[in-house]
Amino acid sequence: MGESRGGARGRWPALAAALGCCLGVPTPTVTAAPLRPNSLRFVVVAPRSVRLGKPVPITLRLTNAGKRKADLFLLGRSVTFDIIVAGPDGRVVWRRLEGASSQQILQVKTLAPGQTLELKDVWTQRTNAGGLVPPGVYTVQGVLPTDAASLQTTPVRLRITPD
Amino acid sequence: MSRHALAVRLLPIAAVALGAACTDATAPQDSAVPAFPALQAVQAPDVATLARAIPGFGGFFLDRGVPTVYVSDDGQRGAVERALGGFARARGFAPSQIHVLRGRFTYGDLDRWVGRVSDEAFAEGGVVFVDLDEAANRVLVAVEPGASHAKVRRLALRLGVPAEALVVRETDPVQQYVATLRDRVRPIVAGLQIHFGNFLCSLGFNAVSGGQNSFVTASHCTNVQGGTEGTIYYQPLQSVDPVSIGREVDDPVYFRGRGCPKKRVCRFSDAARAAYATGIPFALGGIAQTSGPNNGALDITGTFQITSEGDAVVGDVVNKVGRTTGWTQGTVTNTCVNTGVSHTRIVQLCQTFVSAGVGPGDSGSDIFGLTDGSTVRLLGILWGGNSAGTQFVYSPISNVERELGPLTTF
Repeated sequence: MGESRGGARGRWPALAAALGCCLGVPTPTVTAAPLRPNSLRFVVVAPRSVRLGKPVPITLRLTNAGKRKADLFLLGRSVTFDIIVAGPDGRVVWRRLEGASSQQILQVKTLAPGQTLELKDVWTQRTNAGGLVPPGVYTVQGVLPTDAASLQTTPVRLRITPD
Repeated sequence: MSRHALAVRLLPIAAVALGAACTDATAPQDSAVPAFPALQAVQAPDVATLARAIPGFGGFFLDRGVPTVYVSDDGQRGAVERALGGFARARGFAPSQIHVLRGRFTYGDLDRWVGRVSDEAFAEGGVVFVDLDEAANRVLVAVEPGASHAKVRRLALRLGVPAEALVVRETDPVQQYVATLRDRVRPIVAGLQIHFGNFLCSLGFNAVSGGQNSFVTASHCTNVQGGTEGTIYYQPLQSVDPVSIGREVDDPVYFRGRGCPKKRVCRFSDAARAAYATGIPFALGGIAQTSGPNNGALDITGTFQITSEGDAVVGDVVNKVGRTTGWTQGTVTNTCVNTGVSHTRIVQLCQTFVSAGVGPGDSGSDIFGLTDGSTVRLLGILWGGNSAGTQFVYSPISNVERELGPLTTF
């Protein structure tokens, strides 16, 4: 059958390399403190600033910072994750899963101590309605649905500069 | 305990004795107890019989395996040996080896006092149980840690129970064990957690297809969505019960053309059928019921029974029971929707949207409408939901049977 698995993840390394080369992507922003109180460290990585209209690479990193393995109960045959971008006024302009119908299967994934799960996608600077966003300071947050409360990163700031 | 329980207090002991009798069918009957039926030569008499046969009888129990009797009259050994000799022999003891202890209270008095205390003590709060303690020849009242002992003692005195006949002891509360949708449950019903590979889903409904006992779940709850690969299922987890409950036997492949959008693959249902393994008990038409819709409860409190199948229209109120969000209920908002599956090339044709709760692991759940009390109309199989967990998508039962063939579901 033709289900695509981890498509965004598969495309990302080459795209990231290209972006790093051609757009001069500055040092990524990493969230300072994860919201998870236990041994899981969940952060979102995004550029501090990008030029208007250029693709924005975004990575979610979930790390088992503890000394024991961690069993995660995650949505999807390929791990399903959401990215939320909010504008300067706090209103959400783009959600990766906006309007999506996701298969409600639960995947049991085990992270060994020190192991990191990386999930990657690219935001095209367009709203869910399809229009380009204006320059300004945005926030980016990662969300990982589970069979209990979703894991959420601390939002990071992303500046979109004029051409 | 209640008074009428007296006659059955020794049933467990009797069962053990009966088991012993079954392995030694030629053991001689005790000819010294002609008043008792033959079976009682190896089975412990009930306490009512013992109370009649042994003057001053105060209780009977096994003390580290040795038959032991309380009597208030020292001269009753003979009566004890006649009444319990057969039972003692069945357990490997001579009648003379029965321990006879001096009891202060007769069984009849203790039983009467237990009845009185039980009737009123639970109203005091903090009482865990009231028992006639055969091994202590006392009335035993167990209370939760920190509960008042004095209150129980005052109550007992008021009810005419001698202070020296009462023992008050602290114990942990007795918790009622309730199975959840994520536990091992037999016979298997719809809505329970199922496990394959590294994934968890929900069981949609039981069915018989061509004489084959089966269950239906989502097609994407198989090793490969579309195509039959013989996925092996466990309930609730292989680590909990390593005996497989069944194997995938029918999961049609996704197709192109024939109304499927360009560059996509399609089916009319996200459904697959698995055949039950021999000997796995299941309840045809049964759906696990929790305490109520949209309350997040996962404890199983009963069973819905499928009595019909049908289709829903916009505005209908429908339900689902699944391992993650339990019983949820909401309104049909859209019907016959061609639905793209997030981040795949799959389009599910002619699906139904419902405004109701859903979560990861609910895939494969039963969808049904309530018809009368606990009887329901089967509507389909849940497979999708939105990111907020407030809307689910299901394949109508007519689509499921279009692809899996006719199914007997109740």
